[in-house]
Amino acid sequence: MSPSKTAAPVRLLTQAAGERQTGALVVQGHPGGTVYLLEGLIMYAESVAAPGVGELLTASGRLAGRTWQAALDAGTSLAQVGHLLLEQGHLTRGELELCVLGAIYDAAYFALAAPGGPVEFLPGATHWLGPVIRVEPAAVTREARRRARLLDEIFPHPEVDVAPVTPVPRPPVERVTVTALQWELLVHADGQRTPADLALLLGRAGYATIQELRRLAAAGLIERPAPPAADQPDFVRLPGVHPTAVDARRPAAPADTPPVARPAPDPPRHALEPESSGSTGTVYRPPKLTRRKPGAKLPKDVGPNAPPLHTGTDEVLLKRIRTALRALR
Amino acid sequence: MPGVDNCLQEAMAIPGAIGASIVDYTTGFPVATTGAAPNADHEAAAAGTADVVQAATSRSLFVSAVPHDLLEDLIITTAGGYHLLRLVQTDFDSRLVLYLWLDRVHGNLAVARRRMQKLADELVAA
Repeated sequence: MSPSKTAAPVRLLTQAAGERQTGALVVQGHPGGTVYLLEGLIMYAESVAAPGVGELLTASGRLAGRTWQAALDAGTSLAQVGHLLLEQGHLTRGELELCVLGAIYDAAYFALAAPGGPVEFLPGATHWLGPVIRVEPAAVTREARRRARLLDEIFPHPEVDVAPVTPVPRPPVERVTVTALQWELLVHADGQRTPADLALLLGRAGYATIQELRRLAAAGLIERPAPPAADQPDFVRLPGVHPTAVDARRPAAPADTPPVARPAPDPPRHALEPESSGSTGTVYRPPKLTRRKPGAKLPKDVGPNAPPLHTGTDEVLLKRIRTALRALR
Repeated sequence: MPGVDNCLQEAMAIPGAIGASIVDYTTGFPVATTGAAPNADHEAAAAGTADVVQAATSRSLFVSAVPHDLLEDLIITTAGGYHLLRLVQTDFDSRLVLYLWLDRVHGNLAVARRRMQKLADELVAA
Protein backbone atom coordinates (compact mmCIF):
# COMPACT_ATOMS: atom_id res chain seq x y z
CA MET A 1 0.00 0.00 0.00
CA SER A 2 2.99 2.27 -0.32
CA PRO A 3 2.74 5.19 -2.76
CA SER A 4 5.37 3.75 -5.10
CA LYS A 5 3.23 0.69 -5.77
CA THR A 6 0.03 2.62 -6.34
CA ALA A 7 1.62 5.19 -8.61
CA ALA A 8 1.70 3.09 -11.78
CA PRO A 9 -2.02 2.27 -12.18
CA VAL A 10 -3.06 5.76 -11.08
CA ARG A 11 -0.60 7.43 -13.46
CA LEU A 12 -1.73 5.32 -16.41
CA LEU A 13 -5.38 5.97 -15.53
CA THR A 14 -4.82 9.72 -15.28
CA GLN A 15 -2.99 9.72 -18.60
CA ALA A 16 -5.72 7.72 -20.40
CA ALA A 17 -8.39 9.94 -18.87
CA GLY A 18 -6.50 13.06 -19.93
CA GLU A 19 -6.52 11.81 -23.53
CA ARG A 20 -10.27 11.08 -23.20
CA GLN A 21 -9.68 7.46 -24.15
CA THR A 22 -12.10 4.55 -24.14
CA GLY A 23 -10.76 1.24 -22.89
CA ALA A 24 -9.89 -0.93 -19.93
CA LEU A 25 -7.09 -0.41 -17.41
CA VAL A 26 -6.16 -3.92 -16.26
CA VAL A 27 -4.26 -4.10 -12.97
CA GLN A 28 -2.94 -7.58 -12.29
CA GLY A 29 -1.99 -8.87 -8.90
CA HIS A 30 -3.54 -9.62 -5.57
CA PRO A 31 -6.40 -8.86 -5.89
CA GLY A 32 -6.01 -6.50 -8.84
CA GLY A 33 -8.93 -5.33 -10.94
CA THR A 34 -10.07 -3.60 -14.10
CA VAL A 35 -11.24 -0.02 -14.54
CA TYR A 36 -13.29 0.75 -17.67
CA LEU A 37 -13.08 4.19 -19.25
CA LEU A 38 -15.59 5.68 -21.64
CA GLU A 39 -14.27 8.82 -23.31
CA GLY A 40 -12.05 9.59 -20.33
CA LEU A 41 -14.63 8.94 -17.60
CA ILE A 42 -14.92 5.80 -15.49
CA MET A 43 -18.06 3.84 -16.39
CA TYR A 44 -17.37 0.65 -14.45
CA ALA A 45 -14.74 -1.15 -12.39
CA GLU A 46 -14.44 -4.71 -11.25
CA SER A 47 -12.20 -6.78 -9.00
CA VAL A 48 -12.32 -10.33 -7.65
CA ALA A 49 -12.32 -8.84 -4.14
CA ALA A 50 -15.41 -6.69 -4.79
CA PRO A 51 -18.81 -8.17 -5.67
CA GLY A 52 -20.01 -6.75 -8.99
CA VAL A 53 -23.41 -5.31 -9.79
CA GLY A 54 -24.80 -8.76 -10.60
CA GLU A 55 -23.61 -10.32 -7.36
CA LEU A 56 -24.87 -7.37 -5.29
CA LEU A 57 -28.31 -7.49 -6.89
CA THR A 58 -28.77 -11.27 -6.84
CA ALA A 59 -27.15 -12.05 -3.47
CA SER A 60 -29.47 -9.54 -1.79
CA GLY A 61 -32.49 -11.03 -3.53
CA ARG A 62 -33.23 -7.74 -5.28
CA LEU A 63 -33.12 -9.55 -8.62
CA ALA A 64 -33.81 -13.23 -9.18
CA GLY A 65 -30.80 -15.05 -10.62
CA ARG A 66 -32.94 -15.89 -13.64
CA THR A 67 -33.76 -12.23 -14.29
CA TRP A 68 -30.12 -11.23 -14.12
CA GLN A 69 -29.08 -14.10 -16.38
CA ALA A 70 -31.75 -13.18 -18.94
CA ALA A 71 -30.48 -9.59 -19.00
CA LEU A 72 -26.91 -10.87 -19.43
CA ASP A 73 -27.93 -13.21 -22.25
CA ALA A 74 -29.78 -10.49 -24.11
CA GLY A 75 -27.56 -7.50 -23.38
CA THR A 76 -23.96 -8.72 -23.16
CA SER A 77 -23.18 -8.75 -26.87
CA LEU A 78 -24.64 -5.27 -27.29
CA ALA A 79 -23.11 -3.96 -24.02
CA GLN A 80 -26.56 -2.90 -22.85
CA VAL A 81 -27.24 -5.02 -19.77
CA GLY A 82 -27.88 -2.00 -17.56
CA HIS A 83 -30.15 -0.37 -20.11
CA LEU A 84 -32.16 -3.59 -20.51
CA LEU A 85 -32.74 -3.94 -16.77
CA LEU A 86 -34.14 -0.40 -16.68
CA GLU A 87 -36.20 -0.82 -19.84
CA GLN A 88 -37.79 -4.01 -18.58
CA GLY A 89 -38.62 -2.32 -15.28
CA HIS A 90 -36.60 -4.64 -13.05
CA LEU A 91 -34.82 -1.75 -11.35
CA THR A 92 -35.33 1.97 -10.94
CA ARG A 93 -32.73 4.24 -12.45
CA GLY A 94 -31.81 5.40 -8.95
CA GLU A 95 -31.17 1.86 -7.76
CA LEU A 96 -29.04 0.94 -10.74
CA GLU A 97 -27.04 4.16 -10.59
CA LEU A 98 -26.39 3.81 -6.87
CA CYS A 99 -25.49 0.15 -7.26
CA VAL A 100 -23.05 0.88 -10.10
CA LEU A 101 -21.55 3.86 -8.24
CA GLY A 102 -20.98 1.69 -5.18
CA ALA A 103 -19.45 -1.09 -7.28
CA ILE A 104 -17.13 1.35 -9.09
CA TYR A 105 -15.67 2.86 -5.93
CA ASP A 106 -15.47 -0.56 -4.27
CA ALA A 107 -13.61 -2.29 -7.11
CA ALA A 108 -11.47 0.79 -7.84
CA TYR A 109 -10.12 0.66 -4.30
CA PHE A 110 -8.82 -2.88 -4.88
CA ALA A 111 -7.54 -2.11 -8.37
CA LEU A 112 -5.82 1.17 -7.53
CA ALA A 113 -4.91 1.27 -3.84
CA ALA A 114 -4.03 -2.32 -2.98
CA PRO A 115 -0.55 -3.52 -3.93
CA GLY A 116 -0.72 -4.44 -7.57
CA GLY A 117 1.30 -6.12 -10.26
CA PRO A 118 1.71 -5.24 -13.94
CA VAL A 119 -0.66 -2.68 -15.41
CA GLU A 120 -1.79 -2.33 -19.00
CA PHE A 121 -4.35 -0.28 -20.88
CA LEU A 122 -6.47 -2.01 -23.52
CA PRO A 123 -7.79 0.69 -25.84
CA GLY A 124 -11.31 0.23 -27.13
CA ALA A 125 -12.39 -2.38 -24.57
CA THR A 126 -15.90 -1.84 -23.25
CA HIS A 127 -17.91 -3.48 -20.51
CA TRP A 128 -21.09 -5.48 -21.06
CA LEU A 129 -22.97 -3.40 -18.50
CA GLY A 130 -23.00 -0.44 -20.87
CA PRO A 131 -23.09 3.20 -19.86
CA VAL A 132 -25.15 3.76 -16.70
CA ILE A 133 -23.27 6.51 -14.90
CA ARG A 134 -19.84 8.10 -15.32
CA VAL A 135 -17.39 9.28 -12.70
CA GLU A 136 -14.34 11.55 -12.86
CA PRO A 137 -11.19 9.38 -12.55
CA ALA A 138 -9.57 11.99 -10.29
CA ALA A 139 -12.40 11.62 -7.75
CA VAL A 140 -12.06 7.83 -7.82
CA THR A 141 -8.28 7.77 -7.35
CA ARG A 142 -8.49 10.32 -4.54
CA GLU A 143 -11.19 8.26 -2.83
CA ALA A 144 -9.21 5.02 -3.26
CA ARG A 145 -6.23 6.58 -1.51
CA ARG A 146 -8.45 7.98 1.24
CA ARG A 147 -10.00 4.54 1.80
CA ALA A 148 -6.56 2.97 2.20
CA ARG A 149 -5.75 5.60 4.81
CA LEU A 150 -9.06 5.02 6.66
CA LEU A 151 -8.26 1.31 6.96
CA ASP A 152 -4.85 2.01 8.45
CA GLU A 153 -6.44 4.37 10.96
CA ILE A 154 -8.66 1.50 12.14
CA PHE A 155 -5.93 -1.15 12.39
CA PRO A 156 -2.70 -0.83 10.39
CA HIS A 157 -2.29 -4.47 9.38
CA PRO A 158 -3.13 -5.04 5.70
CA GLU A 159 -2.62 -8.81 5.97
CA VAL A 160 -6.12 -8.90 7.56
CA ASP A 161 -7.57 -7.89 4.15
CA VAL A 162 -6.51 -11.03 2.31
CA ALA A 163 -5.91 -13.87 4.78
CA PRO A 164 -8.58 -16.50 5.53
CA VAL A 165 -10.71 -15.29 8.44
CA THR A 166 -10.67 -17.26 11.69
CA PRO A 167 -12.76 -16.04 14.63
CA VAL A 168 -11.01 -16.43 17.96
CA PRO A 169 -12.52 -19.34 19.88
CA ARG A 170 -12.76 -17.28 23.06
CA PRO A 171 -13.30 -13.49 23.08
CA PRO A 172 -10.62 -11.50 24.90
CA VAL A 173 -13.22 -9.59 26.94
CA GLU A 174 -16.29 -10.54 28.95
CA ARG A 175 -18.80 -8.58 26.91
CA VAL A 176 -18.71 -8.15 23.14
CA THR A 177 -20.69 -5.71 20.99
CA VAL A 178 -20.72 -6.28 17.25
CA THR A 179 -22.48 -4.59 14.33
CA ALA A 180 -24.87 -6.54 12.12
CA LEU A 181 -22.25 -6.93 9.38
CA GLN A 182 -19.61 -8.03 11.90
CA TRP A 183 -22.01 -10.70 13.13
CA GLU A 184 -22.60 -11.95 9.57
CA LEU A 185 -18.87 -12.13 8.98
CA LEU A 186 -18.16 -14.01 12.21
CA VAL A 187 -20.98 -16.49 11.57
CA HIS A 188 -19.73 -17.26 8.06
CA ALA A 189 -15.99 -17.17 8.73
CA ASP A 190 -14.76 -20.74 8.94
CA GLY A 191 -10.99 -20.39 8.87
CA GLN A 192 -10.98 -21.10 5.13
CA ARG A 193 -12.91 -18.26 3.52
CA THR A 194 -10.94 -15.13 2.67
CA PRO A 195 -12.47 -11.65 3.01
CA ALA A 196 -13.15 -11.72 -0.75
CA ASP A 197 -14.97 -15.06 -0.39
CA LEU A 198 -17.09 -13.64 2.44
CA ALA A 199 -17.96 -10.46 0.53
CA LEU A 200 -19.14 -12.52 -2.46
CA LEU A 201 -21.01 -15.02 -0.34
CA LEU A 202 -22.87 -12.33 1.61
CA GLY A 203 -23.25 -9.86 -1.26
CA ARG A 204 -21.52 -7.17 0.78
CA ALA A 205 -19.19 -4.53 -0.60
CA GLY A 206 -15.58 -5.70 -0.49
CA TYR A 207 -14.34 -2.54 1.18
CA ALA A 208 -17.07 -2.57 3.85
CA THR A 209 -16.11 -6.19 4.54
CA ILE A 210 -12.43 -5.53 5.11
CA GLN A 211 -13.27 -2.40 7.08
CA GLU A 212 -15.30 -4.49 9.54
CA LEU A 213 -12.64 -7.22 9.56
CA ARG A 214 -9.97 -4.70 10.53
CA ARG A 215 -12.26 -3.52 13.34
CA LEU A 216 -12.78 -7.13 14.45
CA ALA A 217 -9.03 -7.74 14.34
CA ALA A 218 -8.43 -4.56 16.36
CA ALA A 219 -10.96 -5.79 18.92
CA GLY A 220 -9.22 -9.18 19.09
CA LEU A 221 -12.26 -11.08 17.83
CA ILE A 222 -10.56 -12.65 14.80
CA GLU A 223 -7.12 -14.21 14.67
CA ARG A 224 -4.28 -11.97 13.49
CA PRO A 225 -2.88 -13.62 10.37
CA ALA A 226 0.89 -13.88 10.08
CA PRO A 227 2.40 -10.86 8.30
CA PRO A 228 2.84 -11.52 4.58
CA ALA A 229 6.06 -13.22 3.55
CA ALA A 230 8.55 -11.54 1.27
CA ASP A 231 7.05 -13.19 -1.81
CA GLN A 232 3.59 -12.38 -3.16
CA PRO A 233 0.77 -13.20 -0.76
CA ASP A 234 -1.38 -16.01 -2.10
CA PHE A 235 -4.73 -14.24 -2.47
CA VAL A 236 -6.67 -17.05 -4.03
CA ARG A 237 -6.98 -19.89 -1.57
CA LEU A 238 -6.44 -23.25 -3.19
CA PRO A 239 -8.51 -25.94 -1.53
CA GLY A 240 -6.45 -28.66 0.03
CA VAL A 241 -3.09 -26.92 0.10
CA HIS A 242 -3.66 -24.90 3.24
CA PRO A 243 -0.75 -25.83 5.51
CA THR A 244 -2.85 -26.32 8.61
CA ALA A 245 -5.77 -28.04 6.91
CA VAL A 246 -6.38 -31.69 7.63
CA ASP A 247 -8.62 -34.24 6.06
CA ALA A 248 -11.87 -34.47 7.96
CA ARG A 249 -12.14 -38.11 7.09
CA ARG A 250 -9.11 -38.73 9.27
CA PRO A 251 -9.75 -36.34 12.16
CA ALA A 252 -7.17 -37.95 14.44
CA ALA A 253 -4.21 -37.50 12.11
CA PRO A 254 -1.47 -37.21 14.73
CA ALA A 255 1.12 -35.50 12.54
CA ASP A 256 -1.07 -32.43 12.06
CA THR A 257 -2.16 -31.94 15.63
CA PRO A 258 0.80 -32.63 17.87
CA PRO A 259 -0.20 -30.44 20.85
CA VAL A 260 -3.74 -31.78 21.05
CA ALA A 261 -3.64 -35.18 22.65
CA ARG A 262 -7.38 -35.77 22.62
CA PRO A 263 -8.37 -38.58 20.28
CA ALA A 264 -11.46 -36.94 18.75
CA PRO A 265 -11.46 -33.20 19.23
CA ASP A 266 -14.79 -31.46 19.06
CA PRO A 267 -14.19 -28.61 16.65
CA PRO A 268 -15.51 -25.14 17.44
CA ARG A 269 -18.79 -24.06 15.91
CA HIS A 270 -17.33 -22.52 12.77
CA ALA A 271 -15.53 -25.71 11.86
CA LEU A 272 -18.67 -27.81 12.05
CA GLU A 273 -19.68 -26.80 8.56
CA PRO A 274 -16.90 -27.93 6.28
CA GLU A 275 -16.83 -26.35 2.86
CA SER A 276 -17.22 -28.50 -0.13
CA SER A 277 -13.95 -28.04 -1.91
CA GLY A 278 -14.18 -29.88 -5.15
CA SER A 279 -12.49 -33.17 -5.75
CA THR A 280 -9.97 -32.90 -2.94
CA GLY A 281 -12.50 -33.77 -0.24
CA THR A 282 -13.62 -31.91 2.81
CA VAL A 283 -11.09 -29.99 4.86
CA TYR A 284 -11.20 -27.94 8.00
CA ARG A 285 -8.72 -26.23 10.27
CA PRO A 286 -7.99 -28.08 13.45
CA PRO A 287 -9.42 -26.22 16.41
CA LYS A 288 -7.07 -24.44 18.76
CA LEU A 289 -9.25 -24.53 21.86
CA THR A 290 -11.17 -27.74 22.00
CA ARG A 291 -13.51 -28.74 24.74
CA ARG A 292 -15.80 -31.69 24.62
CA LYS A 293 -18.02 -32.99 27.35
CA PRO A 294 -17.17 -36.54 28.35
CA GLY A 295 -19.31 -39.00 26.46
CA ALA A 296 -20.40 -36.51 23.82
CA LYS A 297 -20.60 -37.93 20.35
CA LEU A 298 -18.57 -36.76 17.43
CA PRO A 299 -20.70 -34.43 15.30
CA LYS A 300 -22.19 -36.06 12.23
CA ASP A 301 -20.55 -33.60 9.89
CA VAL A 302 -17.08 -34.76 10.85
CA GLY A 303 -17.98 -38.39 10.35
CA PRO A 304 -16.98 -40.44 7.33
CA ASN A 305 -20.01 -39.41 5.24
CA ALA A 306 -19.77 -35.68 5.63
CA PRO A 307 -22.48 -34.10 3.48
CA PRO A 308 -21.28 -31.27 1.25
CA LEU A 309 -22.53 -28.11 2.89
CA HIS A 310 -22.06 -24.47 1.90
CA THR A 311 -21.76 -24.61 -1.80
CA GLY A 312 -22.48 -20.88 -1.87
CA THR A 313 -18.93 -19.78 -2.53
CA ASP A 314 -18.50 -22.22 -5.38
CA GLU A 315 -21.78 -21.15 -6.96
CA VAL A 316 -20.79 -17.52 -6.82
CA LEU A 317 -17.40 -18.33 -8.29
CA LEU A 318 -18.94 -20.32 -11.13
CA LYS A 319 -21.34 -17.49 -11.85
CA ARG A 320 -18.44 -15.05 -12.09
CA ILE A 321 -16.53 -17.34 -14.42
CA ARG A 322 -19.59 -17.70 -16.62
CA THR A 323 -20.08 -13.92 -16.64
CA ALA A 324 -16.44 -13.37 -17.54
CA LEU A 325 -16.61 -15.87 -20.40
CA ARG A 326 -19.67 -14.18 -21.80
CA ALA A 327 -17.93 -10.84 -21.73
CA LEU A 328 -15.19 -12.28 -23.96
CA ARG A 329 -17.58 -13.14 -26.77
CA MET B 1 -38.04 6.83 -12.54
CA PRO B 2 -35.70 9.42 -11.07
CA GLY B 3 -31.96 8.90 -11.24
CA VAL B 4 -29.39 10.22 -8.81
CA ASP B 5 -29.02 13.63 -10.49
CA ASN B 6 -32.75 14.01 -10.82
CA CYS B 7 -33.22 13.21 -7.12
CA LEU B 8 -30.70 15.88 -6.11
CA GLN B 9 -32.34 18.41 -8.43
CA GLU B 10 -35.67 17.78 -6.78
CA ALA B 11 -34.08 18.11 -3.35
CA MET B 12 -32.80 21.53 -4.40
CA ALA B 13 -36.35 22.46 -5.40
CA ILE B 14 -37.47 22.11 -1.76
CA PRO B 15 -38.08 25.66 -0.44
CA GLY B 16 -35.00 26.97 1.37
CA ALA B 17 -32.61 24.29 0.06
CA ILE B 18 -28.97 25.41 -0.04
CA GLY B 19 -27.21 22.16 -0.94
CA ALA B 20 -27.80 18.43 -1.18
CA SER B 21 -25.77 15.26 -1.52
CA ILE B 22 -25.89 11.48 -1.32
CA VAL B 23 -23.30 10.16 1.12
CA ASP B 24 -21.87 6.69 1.69
CA TYR B 25 -21.77 6.62 5.46
CA THR B 26 -19.32 3.74 5.84
CA THR B 27 -16.60 5.77 4.19
CA GLY B 28 -17.93 9.31 4.55
CA PHE B 29 -17.75 9.86 0.81
CA PRO B 30 -20.22 11.97 -1.21
CA VAL B 31 -21.19 9.85 -4.23
CA ALA B 32 -23.18 12.78 -5.68
CA THR B 33 -23.44 16.44 -4.73
CA THR B 34 -25.19 19.62 -5.80
CA GLY B 35 -25.45 23.19 -4.57
CA ALA B 36 -23.42 24.55 -1.67
CA ALA B 37 -21.95 22.68 1.28
CA PRO B 38 -21.16 23.88 4.79
CA ASN B 39 -17.73 25.58 4.61
CA ALA B 40 -17.88 25.07 0.83
CA ASP B 41 -16.53 21.55 1.28
CA HIS B 42 -18.81 18.68 0.25
CA GLU B 43 -16.24 16.06 1.22
CA ALA B 44 -15.79 17.40 4.75
CA ALA B 45 -19.56 17.69 5.11
CA ALA B 46 -19.91 14.07 3.97
CA ALA B 47 -17.36 12.90 6.52
CA GLY B 48 -19.30 14.75 9.22
CA THR B 49 -22.58 13.29 7.98
CA ALA B 50 -21.09 9.80 8.21
CA ASP B 51 -19.93 10.43 11.77
CA VAL B 52 -23.41 11.51 12.83
CA VAL B 53 -25.11 8.52 11.18
CA GLN B 54 -22.57 6.10 12.65
CA ALA B 55 -23.13 7.63 16.08
CA ALA B 56 -26.88 7.11 15.78
CA THR B 57 -26.75 3.60 14.32
CA SER B 58 -23.85 1.93 16.06
CA ARG B 59 -22.64 4.02 18.97
CA SER B 60 -26.01 4.86 20.48
CA LEU B 61 -28.62 2.30 21.42
CA PHE B 62 -31.69 4.14 20.09
CA VAL B 63 -31.96 1.99 17.00
CA SER B 64 -31.53 -1.31 18.78
CA ALA B 65 -34.24 -0.71 21.39
CA VAL B 66 -36.85 -2.71 19.45
CA PRO B 67 -36.12 -5.61 17.05
CA HIS B 68 -36.28 -4.59 13.38
CA ASP B 69 -36.35 -0.93 14.32
CA LEU B 70 -34.79 1.24 11.64
CA LEU B 71 -33.18 4.66 11.58
CA GLU B 72 -35.18 6.85 9.20
CA ASP B 73 -33.82 10.34 9.48
CA LEU B 74 -31.75 12.69 11.59
CA ILE B 75 -32.27 16.42 11.90
CA ILE B 76 -29.61 18.80 13.14
CA THR B 77 -30.82 22.29 13.90
CA THR B 78 -28.43 25.23 14.00
CA ALA B 79 -29.16 28.93 14.43
CA GLY B 80 -28.81 29.44 10.69
CA GLY B 81 -30.22 26.27 9.21
CA TYR B 82 -31.44 22.72 9.28
CA HIS B 83 -29.45 19.69 8.22
CA LEU B 84 -31.65 16.76 7.20
CA LEU B 85 -30.18 13.29 6.89
CA ARG B 86 -32.51 10.71 5.37
CA LEU B 87 -31.36 7.10 5.12
CA VAL B 88 -31.84 5.50 1.71
CA GLN B 89 -32.92 1.88 2.15
CA THR B 90 -31.76 -0.18 -0.81
CA ASP B 91 -32.35 -3.92 -1.08
CA PHE B 92 -28.79 -4.49 -2.23
CA ASP B 93 -25.84 -3.78 0.03
CA SER B 94 -25.22 -0.04 0.37
CA ARG B 95 -25.06 2.40 3.21
CA LEU B 96 -26.36 5.66 1.82
CA VAL B 97 -27.88 8.78 3.27
CA LEU B 98 -29.56 11.66 1.46
CA TYR B 99 -28.39 14.95 2.94
CA LEU B 100 -30.09 18.34 2.61
CA TRP B 101 -28.92 21.68 3.93
CA LEU B 102 -31.86 24.00 4.50
CA ASP B 103 -31.96 27.70 5.26
CA ARG B 104 -33.53 28.36 8.67
CA VAL B 105 -35.56 31.39 7.51
CA HIS B 106 -36.70 30.25 4.07
CA GLY B 107 -37.05 26.58 4.83
CA ASN B 108 -39.97 24.75 6.35
CA LEU B 109 -38.76 21.75 8.31
CA ALA B 110 -42.00 19.76 8.14
CA VAL B 111 -42.38 20.25 4.41
CA ALA B 112 -38.73 19.47 3.76
CA ARG B 113 -38.86 16.31 5.85
CA ARG B 114 -41.91 14.99 3.96
CA ARG B 115 -40.35 15.79 0.59
CA MET B 116 -37.09 14.12 1.59
CA GLN B 117 -38.95 10.98 2.63
CA LYS B 118 -40.70 10.88 -0.73
CA LEU B 119 -37.45 11.48 -2.63
CA ALA B 120 -35.57 8.74 -0.77
CA ASP B 121 -38.42 6.28 -1.32
CA GLU B 122 -38.85 7.09 -5.01
CA LEU B 123 -35.15 6.81 -5.67
CA VAL B 124 -35.17 3.07 -4.97
CA ALA B 125 -38.83 2.01 -5.22
CA ALA B 126 -39.95 0.18 -8.32
